[in-house]
Amino acid sequence: MKSADSLKEIYHSKLSPALLSLESKRKEVVKRFLLSVFILLLAAASFILGQGNSWAFVSGFAIAILAFVSFWSAIRKHDSYKQAFKNNVVRKIIECIDPDWQYQPESCISTDEYVESGLFPRRWDRYNGDDLISGVIDKTDFRLSELHTQYKTVSVDSKGRRSEHWHTIFKGLFVHADFNKEIKGETFVLPDLAERLFGKWGQKLQRDASRGQLIKLENNEFEKYFVVYSDDQVEARYILTPKIMEAILNIRKRFNTEIYLSFVGSRVFVAMSFTKDLFEPRLYRSGVRYSDIEQMYYQFNTISVIINEMNLNTRIWTKE
Amino acid sequence: MNTTLLILIAALVILSLIFISIYNGLIRRRNEVDNAFGGMDVQLKKRYDLIPNLVASVKEYAKHEKELLNRITELRASALKPDLSVDEKISLDNQISGAIKNMLISVENYPELKANENFIFLQRSLNEVESQISAARRTFNAVVTDYNNGIQVFPNSIIAGMMGMKRKEVFVISEAERENVDVSKMFKQG
Repeated sequence: MKSADSLKEIYHSKLSPALLSLESKRKEVVKRFLLSVFILLLAAASFILGQGNSWAFVSGFAIAILAFVSFWSAIRKHDSYKQAFKNNVVRKIIECIDPDWQYQPESCISTDEYVESGLFPRRWDRYNGDDLISGVIDKTDFRLSELHTQYKTVSVDSKGRRSEHWHTIFKGLFVHADFNKEIKGETFVLPDLAERLFGKWGQKLQRDASRGQLIKLENNEFEKYFVVYSDDQVEARYILTPKIMEAILNIRKRFNTEIYLSFVGSRVFVAMSFTKDLFEPRLYRSGVRYSDIEQMYYQFNTISVIINEMNLNTRIWTKE
Repeated sequence: MNTTLLILIAALVILSLIFISIYNGLIRRRNEVDNAFGGMDVQLKKRYDLIPNLVASVKEYAKHEKELLNRITELRASALKPDLSVDEKISLDNQISGAIKNMLISVENYPELKANENFIFLQRSLNEVESQISAARRTFNAVVTDYNNGIQVFPNSIIAGMMGMKRKEVFVISEAERENVDVSKMFKQG
C-alpha cells in the first residue's frame, strides 16, 4: 500500500499526462452533446414554426433524425471516453495501490456471489455493476466491485395505463474477503433501522425468522446501529468479538453510510451503500483534478480499511 | 345457562392460557440457560483435552518450567473430577487460564520450541478454544440476563416464585481474560 505522498508523485509523473490527453476527449464529448441538443432544438423549432406546411414537417423530421444520430454518436463517444479513463487512469491508481491486483472495468461481482452472501434476499429484475477488483492483502484474498440491483413493480392507473417502477435493492460497493476464523453457520449484521426509529419498541419489530435468531449483543452503541441474526448464538459471538464490533462501528463511522455484513462459508461479505456512482469520470468539469484522483484512491482503499480494522490478517486460530 | 357462570368460565380459560404461556416462556428461558452452560462446558472440556499435549511438547524444550507444568497438570486433574459445583468449576477454570497464560509467556525464552510445528499447531488450537470459551461465556451471560429479566417482571415473578426459580449469576469476565487473544498475538510476532 502506497502513501498519499507517493500518490501525489504518481499523479504528477504518470496520471496528469494521461488526464491531459483525456481532457480533449472529454471536451469533444461535451461538444457533441451540446451540438445534439442544438439540432434537437432546431427540429422542434421547424415543427412549431412550420405548422401546416408539409415541407417544414419533412425537414423537421429529417433534422430530428439527425439529432438522434448525433445523440447516439455522443453517447458512443462518452462510453469510449469512460473506457479510456478507466484504462488509463483508474488502472494506474490501482497499480499504485498494489501492482498485483487485478482490475476488470467491465466485470462485477457475480450473481452467485451476491446470492451466497444472503444479504439481500429479494429477487432482482435488474443487476448491474462494474469495476471488479480482486487481489490479496497479506494473507487475505478479496473481491470487490460496484453493484446496483433493482426490482420492478408495475402499477395500472384508473385509465388502464401500465407503468413500471424501478426500486433499488442495493447500490454501492460490494466486497467479500476470506474470513480468518472457521464458520459453520450464517450470521448477518444489518443496519438497525427499526431500533433507531422506534427505540426499544423497535426491538419487537426486528424478529425475522427467515434469517435465524435475533442475537442481542452487549455493546450498546453497536446495538443502536446494527441488528444481528444468526442460526447459532455462540458462533455469532465467536465472530462478533468485542473488538470486531468496535471495528464494524469504526468502518460505519468512517464511511458514514449503511453497512450490511454477512459471515457465510469461509467469507465475510460487506455491502456499503453509496448513492453516487463510484470510479466514474465527471463529464461537465475538468477531469484533471488531484482531489478526484485522491477520492478514488480512498474508495479503493476501503478494502484495506475493512481488512485492517477487522484484523483479517491475524491468523492465530485453527484456520490458516 | 347462567351468564355469570359463562363469564366466569371464560375468565378462567383466559387466565389459564396466560398462565400456560408464561410458564412455558419461563421453562424455555431456564432451558436456554442450561443449554448455554452445557455449551460452555464442552469448550472447557476441549481445553482440558489440549493440556496434556501442550505440557508434553513444552516439557521437551523448556526443562526449567517443570513447576509451572506440574501445576497445570494438577489443576487439570482437579477440574476433571466429577461432582464439582459450578463455583468450583469457574474458579478452577480461571486458575487454568492464568497458568496457561504464564506458560505461554515463559515459552518466549525457548526459540526452538516456538518454532516447533507441533507447538504452533497447539497454540492455534488453544487460541481457537479460548475464543470459543469466550463466545460461550458471553452467550451464557446473555441468556442468564434474559432469564433474570423474565423471572423478575410482573406477572411472571409470581409464577416464577411458585416454580422456585431464582436469580442466576452472570460470569464476571476479568479484564485480563478479555485480553487473552492479545497475549497470544504477542507470540505470533516472534
